[in-house]
Amino acid sequence: MVKAWIEDAKRAVCIAEKDVKIYFFKGPNLTFGLLLPVVLYLAFSIGRTVELTLAIPGLVAMAAFFGAGAIQAISLPLERRTGTFSTLLTAPISLFTIILGKTLAGFFFGIVLSLAYTTIMMPFSSLPNLPLFFFGILFSSFVFSAFGLFLSAPFRDIPQAMPPSTVVRIAMVFLCGVFTPIETLPISLQVVAYSLPLTYSVDALRQAMSGPINIQMFLIDLVVQFFYAIVFLIAATKAVKRTIE
Amino acid sequence: MPSQSSVEVSNLTKYYGKLLAVDQINFEVKTKELFGFLGPNGAGKTTTINMLTGVTKPTSGTAFILGHDVTQEPVRAKEHVGVVTDVSGVYDEMTAWDNINFCAKIHGVPKEKRMSRAKELLELFGLYNRRNDRADTFSRGMKKRLMIATALVHEPEILFLDEPTTGLDVQSSRQIRDLIKELNRNGATVFLTTHYIEEADQLCQRVAIIDRGKIVTLDTPEKLKTMVQAEHIIEVSFDHGEEIADKLKRLGYVRDVVTAGDKFKLYVEDPSAMLPLIFHFAEKNHLKVVSVNTLKPTLEDAFVKLTGLRPEVMATEKEHVKPARG
Repeated sequence: MVKAWIEDAKRAVCIAEKDVKIYFFKGPNLTFGLLLPVVLYLAFSIGRTVELTLAIPGLVAMAAFFGAGAIQAISLPLERRTGTFSTLLTAPISLFTIILGKTLAGFFFGIVLSLAYTTIMMPFSSLPNLPLFFFGILFSSFVFSAFGLFLSAPFRDIPQAMPPSTVVRIAMVFLCGVFTPIETLPISLQVVAYSLPLTYSVDALRQAMSGPINIQMFLIDLVVQFFYAIVFLIAATKAVKRTIE
Repeated sequence: MPSQSSVEVSNLTKYYGKLLAVDQINFEVKTKELFGFLGPNGAGKTTTINMLTGVTKPTSGTAFILGHDVTQEPVRAKEHVGVVTDVSGVYDEMTAWDNINFCAKIHGVPKEKRMSRAKELLELFGLYNRRNDRADTFSRGMKKRLMIATALVHEPEILFLDEPTTGLDVQSSRQIRDLIKELNRNGATVFLTTHYIEEADQLCQRVAIIDRGKIVTLDTPEKLKTMVQAEHIIEVSFDHGEEIADKLKRLGYVRDVVTAGDKFKLYVEDPSAMLPLIFHFAEKNHLKVVSVNTLKPTLEDAFVKLTGLRPEVMATEKEHVKPARG
């Protein structure tokens, strides 16, 4: 059993390697992953005072959010359109393994972009608690990659997959405390905000960067993100399964 | 011919929404057999292959690959098969070498064997010198050879080929057909779909003719031909004379007329009685008989008789999804 799991994990990593190699430098990836967080940040912050300690963790969370999700908006629909998805489907691996592999590719992309943003922003911020900050990035990238895949799972083409995933993600950015503290939102929107994974990502990164660190809350943030990642992985698998039935 | 079955299909059915694509088909493919699935586009060939290889789920019915149910044990079933789809299954952005290696990895080929297998296959398919080139620089024929190579990397017992020569030039088609024959000679069970009647006739030991989701008949090409043996065919060509098929149809003894290029195939009951009538017809219509032959029925004749379809419908190429860049 364990041997089979290890074998499955190896094949998932192999799919992830292939995706990173093929899709890393595709246009939508760079546009959405690299530029969109900056554009959104500038659009929101110009003309108003946004504290850097508040903004930087949000910016890093957005890099993970858009970075990890960007690769997913193209890899699955593109593979379906070109026919290479059949190569994966006809291999002796489960659909869950394929989905996990694709999630790992986005996970990697999210980490790289978040770390790039962290490095650029470091001179303007207080020194974060690096191990916790890194854990925050890891969990955020994983959940956002699974989320991105879940959003693109029903679609067979990039133009179909892009708009819904972009709209949903931008709406989440404005709800989840990236620019504005959640406490300032109306109660009904606070309820929505606390049901979205980005909220927990921003909170974890903000604690790790600007404190105060409440380790219990920090762990809750990670556990909630992990829970969401599993839910999105299963939901994405089911959504893809439905398309081949 | 070996009698053990590698593929067993029972009442396999597929609906896409309300559209019935495959309708309760039954067949088996014997081990080491080269089995053909012949039918026009939209007949249900690709859907059948997709159900057998895990690309899509059957709506009902069962299919077993070497004893493994494709819906209950899909991973075990897929361990034994190599698949060449009708669309490009290789990654354009990757080199030939990387494509083969990637397929070897996801099929669990051990690391120590991967390199030697990739080299062996690329050499066999005449692609070794281009191993470091991206697949999108390859011609259609080369890409198809690369697809077959990737499908063979894990040494599958059964090879599924979905219209392997569609869209290829004559030379590439011949190369692919020779490769398929060679693979089968070396012991692989081959399931081949095609809409080329001649291809099925040349390659396959048994052929199932499928039309509108149903298997119309299944037998060896020679036995299928004997089904139309009772009818005699006279092939005649005239020096000119378009649109005379209808006139020919009205001649006595003629059951059907099929136009094939500048020739007319007359399906007749009594050829000896028919021949004087043809010459009389030519004289009356101011035509000169260029050639007249009596023919043995071909698989195409059997196909026409069994499906009621004209051979021209088979000539329609399937519209392919153009691989995207970007």
